[in-house]
Amino acid sequence: MTFSMKRVNAIFQKDLKDILRNSAVSLTASMPLIIAFVMGKMSDDIAVDGHYMVINIAMVTVGSFIQCCLIAEEKEKNTLRGLMLSPASTLEILGGKSLLSLIAMMIIVLIGAFLTGYHPEQIVVIAIAILFTSFFFIGLGTLLGLLAKSVMEASVIIMPFMIVFGFGSMATMFADKYPILKVMDYTPNTQLAAIAVKVESGIGLGGVWLNFGIIALWIIGVFVLTSIVFKRKRMD
Amino acid sequence: MGLQFTSVEKRLNDSLIFPEFNLHSGSNQVTAIYSSLNVRNTLLQMLIREIPILIGEIHINNVEISKANLSDIGFSFLNEGLYERLTVVEQLNFYRKLYSADISTATILRKVHLEEKRNVRIKKLSYSEQRRIQFAKLLIQNPEQFIFEEPDQNIDIETQRVLIIMLEELRAKGKSVLILTGNMESAVILADKVFKLDQSGLHEIQIARESEEDISPISEASAEIDKTEIQPARFEKIPTKVNEKIVLFDPPEIDYIESNDGQSSLHINGEAFPTMFTMNELEERLQHFGFFRCHRSYIVNLQKVREVITWTRNSYSLILDDERKSNIPLSKTKMAEMKVMLGLK
Repeated sequence: MTFSMKRVNAIFQKDLKDILRNSAVSLTASMPLIIAFVMGKMSDDIAVDGHYMVINIAMVTVGSFIQCCLIAEEKEKNTLRGLMLSPASTLEILGGKSLLSLIAMMIIVLIGAFLTGYHPEQIVVIAIAILFTSFFFIGLGTLLGLLAKSVMEASVIIMPFMIVFGFGSMATMFADKYPILKVMDYTPNTQLAAIAVKVESGIGLGGVWLNFGIIALWIIGVFVLTSIVFKRKRMD
Repeated sequence: MGLQFTSVEKRLNDSLIFPEFNLHSGSNQVTAIYSSLNVRNTLLQMLIREIPILIGEIHINNVEISKANLSDIGFSFLNEGLYERLTVVEQLNFYRKLYSADISTATILRKVHLEEKRNVRIKKLSYSEQRRIQFAKLLIQNPEQFIFEEPDQNIDIETQRVLIIMLEELRAKGKSVLILTGNMESAVILADKVFKLDQSGLHEIQIARESEEDISPISEASAEIDKTEIQPARFEKIPTKVNEKIVLFDPPEIDYIESNDGQSSLHINGEAFPTMFTMNELEERLQHFGFFRCHRSYIVNLQKVREVITWTRNSYSLILDDERKSNIPLSKTKMAEMKVMLGLK
């Protein structure tokens, strides 16, 4: 079966129309914007960590959560079987959905950054870093979507990840007291923030390759896990 | 071409679900398998490769099912979901892109009678209208092989008409259609060939639509009615067997009688009671109570008939006035006879 962009596009458009009318999902997706708006109003000078809290929350709630809901809802509403029996391959189905999650995430991240007033020094490096990290979050959403059986389950299953990856950077503050929290220094979201801090201090792409490497490991990890889960569950 | 089952058998642990059978569902015809839910699910799961076929083979267009492209088969499942938040047109356009179909959405909408609802969200459609969207999907997909699961369960008359006309068109186009159902009436109404599949195997149910008898018995029938009316009153209850008990039914209670594998059953308020009489005996006994042999396998109580529906020029059915609005097939030759009985013509 050949990979057809036309079918990916059909699934993308269908999901877009569907998600815009799904108030539960669109409300959740707008949550980071509310946080960004409040933060932006509270102070004029927000630290880099502050900007990245909003960006990270946006990535988890929009990227992972939308992706997870899109897959889980197909199962819940019994539409997945029809889709699997259509000429569309699994790759095309997931491709269409990932495309939607990615675009939605980018829009929310951009608006969020605008509201908090984030102006990075080297916009290209930051853009690459965010795009790169977003692959991890979409992979995570796909993984959770395969595990969840309904939208209800999806919104519960996403919670721990929202806390770890969204607010995880806060936990590093207590790392002195509880050494175990040092682990949080290596999550993709803290690595993304670390890249941003380094870039802010004038280090170019050459100085952040280690952080990119760690994020890449996360991406590989989540994709391997997703394919294992997919083979075992066959999507339903 | 078509769908070919070769010595397919299924056992689950100790029980036999169905023994070896061969069946060919060819082009230009509608084949129905009348079976229990269990058998139906097993067959469907085999067809979509959810469970392996351990004994026997299924071929689709001469390709073994495990190698075939499942997107070449048009499935209509009973519990197939739709994207509730999309409108009818959006959903159909999605299918059109998914299947890269050329047919226009307007044509499809007309065929499934959903033109007025084109911009209504699917969530707001009735069950029957949602079912019609599934039929629309199959028209868009336009495969060589169609498989329907319970196509006319719980659907309204309009949808039944859409379905029957659609099947007529598919026949004309040379497609092969397989219907899996647990409802004898719908199997007889929709299909050309009806098979029953259970533990004892596959048996063809003779439905022989036309030609079995010519129109001549009409005059005989009316003559007989006169004859029986003069006879003195005699015991007219119909005995049936329920477990080891014999239950007697008054003829006016009976909605209709169905014959299945040589066994006649009385249908009363949605329940079936087997009786030891043959259809011919029952026909004779019940004639002067206003019963009518509307089909080779059906005798109907004319008092209970509410509507006579003409699906196409040579396919009819009777809708009864009972709670379930039962749908009884009426064969073409019997239609003429019935008109006489009703005093039309």
